[in-house]
Amino acid sequence: MKRYINGLILLALSSLVACDKKLNLDPAQDIREELALNTDANVKLVLLGAYDALALDGMFGGNTLRDAELMGADGEIRWVGTYEGPRDVFNHAMIAENNDAENMWVDAYKAINICNNVLDALAVVNEADRDQVKGEASFVRAMAYFQLVRFYAQGYEAGGNNTQAGVPIVLRPTRMIDESNLVSRNSVEECYAQILEDLNTAKSLLPDDNGVQAGKYTATALLARVYLQMGRFAEARDHAHEVIESGLYSLLPAYADLWNNEDNTAEDIFAVQISNQDFDESTMVIFYSIPDYGGRDGDIEVNQTHLDLYEADDARLALHYEGYGAWRTGKWRDQYKNEPVIRLAEMYLIRAECNARLGTSTGASVDDDYNAIHTRAGLQPKTGVSLDDILYERRLELAHEGHRIHDVKRLKGSVDGLSYDDPTLVYPIPAREIQANKNLVQNAGY
Amino acid sequence: MKQQLLTLLFICVAAMGVHAQRAVTGRVTELSSGEPLIGATLTVKGTTTGTTTDADGRYSIRVGKDADVLVVKYTGYRGQEITVGTRSNVDVAMEQNAELIDEVVVIGYGKQIKSTLTGNIVKVSGDNVKAMPVVSVEQALQGQAAGVYIESTNGKVGGAMRMRVRGVGSINAGTEPLFVVDGIPLAKDARNTSGADMNPLADLNFNDIESIEVLKDASAKAIYGARGSNGVVIITTKSGKSGKSRIELDLQTGFTKATGRRDFLNSKEYIELFTEAANNADDLEGVPYDDPNSWTEFVFSRFRRYDGHTNWEDRIDQTDWQEEAFRTGRVRNASLSFSGGNDKVRYFASGNLGLNEGVLLSNELSKNGGRLNLDFDATKRLKVGVGLSLARTSTRQVSNDNAFSTPLQLVALAPFTPKTDEDGILYDRPVTTYYNGLIDIEDGSRKVNTFRTLANISGEYTITEHLGLHMEGAANLYNVRDDASFGERTENGSASKGYGYSAFAGATDYNANALLHWDQEFDAHALGLDLGTEYFTSENTRTYVEGEQFPTDDFKTLASAASIKAGTSTITNYSFVSYFGRARYNFNRKYLLNLSARVDGSSRFGKDNRYAFFPAASAGWVLSEEGFLKENKALSFLKLRASWGVSGNADIENFLSQGLYNAGTYNGSSTLNPKQIANPGLTWEKSAELDFGVDFGLFDNRLSGEVDYYIKNTTDLLLNVPVPASSGFTNQFQNIGKLRNKGLELVLNSNNFSGAFSWTTSLNMAFNQNEVISLANGQTLIDDGSNMNVVKVGESIGTFYGAAYAGVDPQNGDALWFVNATDDNGNIVDPTATTNDFSTANFVVLGSPMPDVIYGLDNTFSYGGLTLNIRLQGQQGNQIQNGGGQFMSCNACWFDNQTRDQLDRWQKPGDITNVPQARLGYTNGAETRSSRYLSEGSYLRLKNVTLAYDLPARWFGKNGFRDVRLYATATNLLTFTKYDGWDPEVTTDYLADNIIYGVDFYSAPQPKTIVFGLRAGF
Repeated sequence: MKRYINGLILLALSSLVACDKKLNLDPAQDIREELALNTDANVKLVLLGAYDALALDGMFGGNTLRDAELMGADGEIRWVGTYEGPRDVFNHAMIAENNDAENMWVDAYKAINICNNVLDALAVVNEADRDQVKGEASFVRAMAYFQLVRFYAQGYEAGGNNTQAGVPIVLRPTRMIDESNLVSRNSVEECYAQILEDLNTAKSLLPDDNGVQAGKYTATALLARVYLQMGRFAEARDHAHEVIESGLYSLLPAYADLWNNEDNTAEDIFAVQISNQDFDESTMVIFYSIPDYGGRDGDIEVNQTHLDLYEADDARLALHYEGYGAWRTGKWRDQYKNEPVIRLAEMYLIRAECNARLGTSTGASVDDDYNAIHTRAGLQPKTGVSLDDILYERRLELAHEGHRIHDVKRLKGSVDGLSYDDPTLVYPIPAREIQANKNLVQNAGY
Repeated sequence: MKQQLLTLLFICVAAMGVHAQRAVTGRVTELSSGEPLIGATLTVKGTTTGTTTDADGRYSIRVGKDADVLVVKYTGYRGQEITVGTRSNVDVAMEQNAELIDEVVVIGYGKQIKSTLTGNIVKVSGDNVKAMPVVSVEQALQGQAAGVYIESTNGKVGGAMRMRVRGVGSINAGTEPLFVVDGIPLAKDARNTSGADMNPLADLNFNDIESIEVLKDASAKAIYGARGSNGVVIITTKSGKSGKSRIELDLQTGFTKATGRRDFLNSKEYIELFTEAANNADDLEGVPYDDPNSWTEFVFSRFRRYDGHTNWEDRIDQTDWQEEAFRTGRVRNASLSFSGGNDKVRYFASGNLGLNEGVLLSNELSKNGGRLNLDFDATKRLKVGVGLSLARTSTRQVSNDNAFSTPLQLVALAPFTPKTDEDGILYDRPVTTYYNGLIDIEDGSRKVNTFRTLANISGEYTITEHLGLHMEGAANLYNVRDDASFGERTENGSASKGYGYSAFAGATDYNANALLHWDQEFDAHALGLDLGTEYFTSENTRTYVEGEQFPTDDFKTLASAASIKAGTSTITNYSFVSYFGRARYNFNRKYLLNLSARVDGSSRFGKDNRYAFFPAASAGWVLSEEGFLKENKALSFLKLRASWGVSGNADIENFLSQGLYNAGTYNGSSTLNPKQIANPGLTWEKSAELDFGVDFGLFDNRLSGEVDYYIKNTTDLLLNVPVPASSGFTNQFQNIGKLRNKGLELVLNSNNFSGAFSWTTSLNMAFNQNEVISLANGQTLIDDGSNMNVVKVGESIGTFYGAAYAGVDPQNGDALWFVNATDDNGNIVDPTATTNDFSTANFVVLGSPMPDVIYGLDNTFSYGGLTLNIRLQGQQGNQIQNGGGQFMSCNACWFDNQTRDQLDRWQKPGDITNVPQARLGYTNGAETRSSRYLSEGSYLRLKNVTLAYDLPARWFGKNGFRDVRLYATATNLLTFTKYDGWDPEVTTDYLADNIIYGVDFYSAPQPKTIVFGLRAGF
């Protein structure tokens, strides 16, 4: 009897002393924040994650390119898919709740926060690599801000004071959520200043060539694009020129070879790396391609109006193919391929445009730069090239690559009868963001 | 401290044993049936010594030389006094008093007699769910328990069920009650790969169920403190009883069909409407119809595309796509059980086999399993119970509702599109408008196999006649294997020459508890004390691999994939540690008092905030035992109850309190990516609940019932608070916000006729009002942007919020919405102002997917051997959103076939209609967040009809049959509703969560099932 009782007491007590330690569990798939930012190796992994963030759907994973085309479609392409978000972008009927407006905002700031974390942890990075890490983080941050300010704010007025609302500039890493997260919108001028500062930092610190990650000339190329958007043509020209002169990149002889590649081509200055190992596929392929190649239902069709822009034997016309009862671009045909974001042809076009505008011939004559692109497409060279010729060439050369609406805005054109500064051509600040942050002011018309 | 107390308690107990005298054992049974009476009290006359009988009616008591008269009492039975004399075994047969037979109810960690309960517990006997031809036990319960809202999210077999006890109890933490099967808490968190939730309870054989108890109020569930806030469902399986062996066989077979259909356009109407829509779009743009870029030319080119080898101009109805999605399914179930035992050992063993084919093509679930429950008396003092059940289910799944491949999305295809080409090959795009889901069925498969082992062992050690120790250890091993293969023609496999995946998920849960219980009666005072501890740990693992490029479609497993695209394995775990105590007191079963307290710790919370204290108190007063009512002829029973208590909710993802980075990949290298922001202060969500109840019985309890009013305030909500995304994060779990559920529950049971013809009625009704009191600071709305269900302060969770549709402008056919602009005080300035610009319409509350009242009405008639049971079930006051309306009812905005009501479109100035002008390529009124797509969702269903005939016993004589019953059962036979969709019991599987209710999105309608069965006992 007593033996039993003693045994039972022991048993009962041992189960009662179910110690607190049993509650100390750590995740298997994640590591704590402190560990992610405490060694040289880890910070570099976080930095690489910033590029991964650039490849998110809402960013260069595709939507930011797709929506620039849909918004600037002007009858050249047609959205025929069922998704409400892109349909409303295409129809200029966005509401503040639009999914795509939300995703781009969220994904861009994810990338920015990663960069801020990296820049804050530079002290643990090996001294020899510190400049490069700082340069890359600055580059990615600038890239994200440049997309944000072009979509969520009225365009940059060349020579204006640009006090119109841009996007909030956040430069500190987020470690906890409190009042300091309720940021306000900075002006467009301040946003561009920040972008230029980051890119100049990147340019000054990065090695010339850095593989698929950002190098000195990647930053330089983006600077050319940013200056062009700002209408600062001399600086745009000079930076484009610098990239062309670097000799790091060359135009591919065949236009068709630029697309659907697993590795960067000689012409790619910056491309988002996508493989079948990525969770996020290219949404450009999903929406532009057809099921045979891994697309949805061919949600974006190319209209005859667009095809009519090309000369008959233009290689760029030949890249279009027919599938599922409509014409489609071959640029975004195959799944699991890289997405070129900046390529050398754009630098030639920038240099040509700026030389033409400024009456200069930095690096090469306008005709030569124009023809470098024009003849590559299998066409006869031209002489006496005008600014309009260059802009027309640019439209064809860079078609479907996410430049359209930004060019319309900077050239003060129109789409679908809407003036370049029509409020419907500016994204809404996402409704969720307005709700979460009382300091944000919504854009006109939403 | 706690340990010292316990030690002290043990020492006292040990000391008590020394003075004991002679032991008498025996069994208390019911006179007419011989069934054991549980909880009968025995006292030795003239002393304070007393005991109660256990689950088998057994007792053991010590009598003295001068005190050897046993007083045996059991509510509803005539008391007895028995002189023991020299006997050591005294069996007592109790005769029923004309009064109420008192039910024994399973409570948390024990049992109690219903009349002494102070909390609110619904008991549903196993007989009420037995042989119902539904897949899972919750479906069988639907309409049977007051205040328990049960919804099959759709009619796919094996799909998720949702059960809400007294309203939706949380916004972002779990809202499912805690399921406890034979003492084992079952986590419902195993998911499959397709994204649609499975129901892990589908594997339970409910012919094995003895009873289901739903613990609803705080005092009943507080003993499960940690995880009780959403209610607790205790399922007790059958155990053997000593006596004659019993064999029971149940066989049933039948068929199942979809409850509803929608009406779609035929070819003639389709062509007419879409041509008109294209013309209208051209008119709007000023483009001539014959312009090559016109919408009209475009629509003809599409017609030519969609007609395959036929000619659309013939306007022939080639395919009824809706019918292609449905079928008549077979239902077959068989179960066999053996039970019996002797003084030392009791057993219950069963096996079952079942097949349920769904109403959707290719969707089916088969299950088989077995159970063994053994109880034995190891020694005089030690009783051991062992339970083991093994179950396997195999489900052939269809895609979730949001996939083109789900069968019901076939309705989008044009009616003049032939199903196959001239060679009998299924057409796909570009001939079909969208992917033809029939290809998935022909050329793909998605099969989910689950295996579950539930094992528990328990020991009950009688330390003294009043003091016992109960210990229990249990394991729940749940594995899900999910294999899919898609051939080259399928949507998933077409770009990659075949696609397949294989996933294996496992949940391993262990639970152990120890409970020391002390029960003693001192004259009229009965006191019970429980002290216990519990430990629960769960580990979830998952491995997954997917591959592409198969040589031919004959190869289905990944061994043949030329490219392995992805593979992963994950592990996650959590644990709870708990201590609890409870005191039960009653005076003459007249004044009842119950106190309990529990301390729980969870690994999910921040280190400093892990533990929480959950107290509860309740009291009852049995007025009918009072002198002034005792003689009342009409009133046979009356009890007032009141309870208050706090329970908790920790049902969130693991590790949410920590700031974490996870791994990613870029350009073939690993990356580290921020995953979530830390909240080290994260702690329990708590619900404080007050309940007032009245239990009554009239006219010898021929009419009895319960009325309860409750109010449940949930605070410190575990809220997934949207934070400014400019921080790099979108959400953070915080303890903030308040939620209230209050309501009224009514149960009435009536014995209308007894005798040769008998008729009983039982009614339950529950009114619940859910209100979000507050959210995060400054936050008044949680709106995910894409769905109409939101969380809004002052409204119920999931309320529909969007633009109020104002019909059609008779002048131009534009869709209109009410502007509903508000002034600074939030008042609507002009309730009649309308706009044709959706983006300028202000969102307003449009309705709620949650019913105001849910009810069930059960009538059973019997005469001779015939029994007819009719159960009605319904709900009132909710709305349903047709999420597919933006495609199928959008006045021909795009090429999806339209519901026939779209023919009422506006055509010329002056037309008064609710359907705007058809404009191809324009969203003229097709915006999904508008009341245009909301309808009244109330319904009343003939949930169950069973007609049974018990063959007269004399037919069988001595050949072994004891009773044979033939029956026919129909479920969901009739549905009365104003909803014109497929079925009003619906929430699309790809969205269903805490907030999204009542959204129909090509969701399978509920099955209407008829089975014929035979039950035989030997």
